[in-house]
Amino acid sequence: MASVTIRDVRKAYGSAQVLHGIDIDVVDGEFVTLVGPSGCGKSTLLRMIAGLEEISSGDIEIGGQRVNELAPKDRDIAMVFQNYALYPHMTVAQNMGYSMKLRRASKEETAKAVQEAARILALEPLLERFPKQLSGGQRQRVAMGRAIVRDPKVFLFDEPLSNLDAKLRVQMRAEIKELHQRLKTTIIYVTHDQVEAMTMADRIVVMHDGKVEQIGRPLDLYDHPANLFVAGFIGSPAMNFIQGTVNNGQFQTAEGSTLPLPQSAKVTEGTLITYGIRPEHFRIDPAGQPVRVQVVEPMGSETQLVAKLGTLDLTCLFRERVDPKPGETITLTVDREQVRLFDRVTGMAI
Amino acid sequence: MSYIRKNWVGLLAILVSGIVFLVPFAFIILTAMKNQKESSLRSFSLPSQFHLWDNLVEVIQTRNYMLLTAFVNSAILTVCSVTLLVIFAAMVGFVLQRKPSVWTGPVNFLILAGLIIPPAVVPTIWVLQLLGIFKTLHGLVFIEVAYGLSFCVLLFRAFIATIPRELDEAAIIDGAGPLRLFFEVILPLLKPVVVTVIVVQSVAIFNDFTNPLYYLPGTKNVTLQLTLFNFQSQFNTSYNLLFTNILLITIPPLLVFLFFNRQIVAGMTAGAVKG
Repeated sequence: MASVTIRDVRKAYGSAQVLHGIDIDVVDGEFVTLVGPSGCGKSTLLRMIAGLEEISSGDIEIGGQRVNELAPKDRDIAMVFQNYALYPHMTVAQNMGYSMKLRRASKEETAKAVQEAARILALEPLLERFPKQLSGGQRQRVAMGRAIVRDPKVFLFDEPLSNLDAKLRVQMRAEIKELHQRLKTTIIYVTHDQVEAMTMADRIVVMHDGKVEQIGRPLDLYDHPANLFVAGFIGSPAMNFIQGTVNNGQFQTAEGSTLPLPQSAKVTEGTLITYGIRPEHFRIDPAGQPVRVQVVEPMGSETQLVAKLGTLDLTCLFRERVDPKPGETITLTVDREQVRLFDRVTGMAI
Repeated sequence: MSYIRKNWVGLLAILVSGIVFLVPFAFIILTAMKNQKESSLRSFSLPSQFHLWDNLVEVIQTRNYMLLTAFVNSAILTVCSVTLLVIFAAMVGFVLQRKPSVWTGPVNFLILAGLIIPPAVVPTIWVLQLLGIFKTLHGLVFIEVAYGLSFCVLLFRAFIATIPRELDEAAIIDGAGPLRLFFEVILPLLKPVVVTVIVVQSVAIFNDFTNPLYYLPGTKNVTLQLTLFNFQSQFNTSYNLLFTNILLITIPPLLVFLFFNRQIVAGMTAGAVKG
């Protein structure tokens, strides 16, 4: 177990800068997810921690020791890859024990470590099989087993669930979380799926274009996004954004519709702002704004609507069952204390 | 009848290839059974008397058992060349595919040059003489390796491209150095191509006539294909013995092809489509 400290880390391929000075502190035993759209540099950062990519500038420390120049095998980390990367010509047991073999551990020691990892992941009946004889979920468990056998200071996961089907993904998500609670080892987990990030992590690092946008606990990020990017990225369905100005203590869209501002909002009249409201913070209310229903998506536990306010599309989510027909007009109000405001120019939260 | 009508193209193809491949082989066997007088007529007919055994004995005993020396030489040549080819070509293919550097371009050019530019005999002999390995069996091994390397590197490189890079990275994180990574993780996965290279190259090297002729002159160094000269001269050719000789030296490559046919095709197409 160890903390991981990333200090002003930069990465450039030739003249193309992909990471612009990343600072992250991962506490000992913490589960941190790096999340962001593809191409944001999250995998590159993880590979730099693993030692598979060179660090252009900055420092990475694992357990207080600077590891910039250390070979991957000496960093005491283990990595789980998206496509499992199991050695096809070795059995499950050999796959899991390969790192021990390379470290010249005795046969008994290796067998013991493999048995222990297999027990944790319920892989005992599969030890003599080859990877091609396993299902996707089993392969991913073997890949995790291979990481556990190393008994590393830090686990690195690179989108480990992306190759699995939706149902298995939910199941493996729970398994990884449980594994973390049991082993209490530091985990750095890369994903592009914000649901995975929200459900698993102690803290989330949202990255975009090679920069850290915000670091925080999942619900803090959800409730108090630092900027437009985080607000739009975290949460599914995504937050609604409406452009407009402050007029008479109310928010006014370009077409003249008005929406209430939070009471605590400190905005001056006439400021250009972006009004952010999450889909679940709409209420059907006879006193509200009339909107025209476009699409209704009943999902059982909740109902999702796409409705038009003037020419703007709004996504709304209702916990109760509502059943308007497309084309019908309903009236909506917003939960004004849940509204988030952003500066139109900088994109930062107000 | 309807079966023939439906499949006449296929049947015709089988018939034609049967004639093209089997008739010459039958001619070899028939001639090898005749005596010298009958064989000189070179007719496609059954021999009046069977002389196969006599011919075999004579062919083997000719010039102080030269055929046996040639068998040994050819075996050494083939085994050594193919072993070196597999190891070198796989390594070059691995480095070219996995570790692009400033050398990748020039090396690729050299590989293509090796396929395109015809080898020049006299300068090669000059180089061999400089190195002191002209007229030696190991000199010829190097020649065969050099001529076969380009094709094999291309095969290996294409196949290695289908092996996910994460596999290398997993091994590196597990603590494997470059040599272990290659020999313990990558090479075992190259089995289909290795089989292809072994089969194709051993048949080609075993059957090679011109290279031993140029680079390995002298009776002591003879390889199998060169023994054909024993029974052919300007004034007098013993066709029965020549064809018995052909029969004997055709058997080993034929066996290789019969046994490994399936793997060859698998290996040749392995790099073509990502599986």
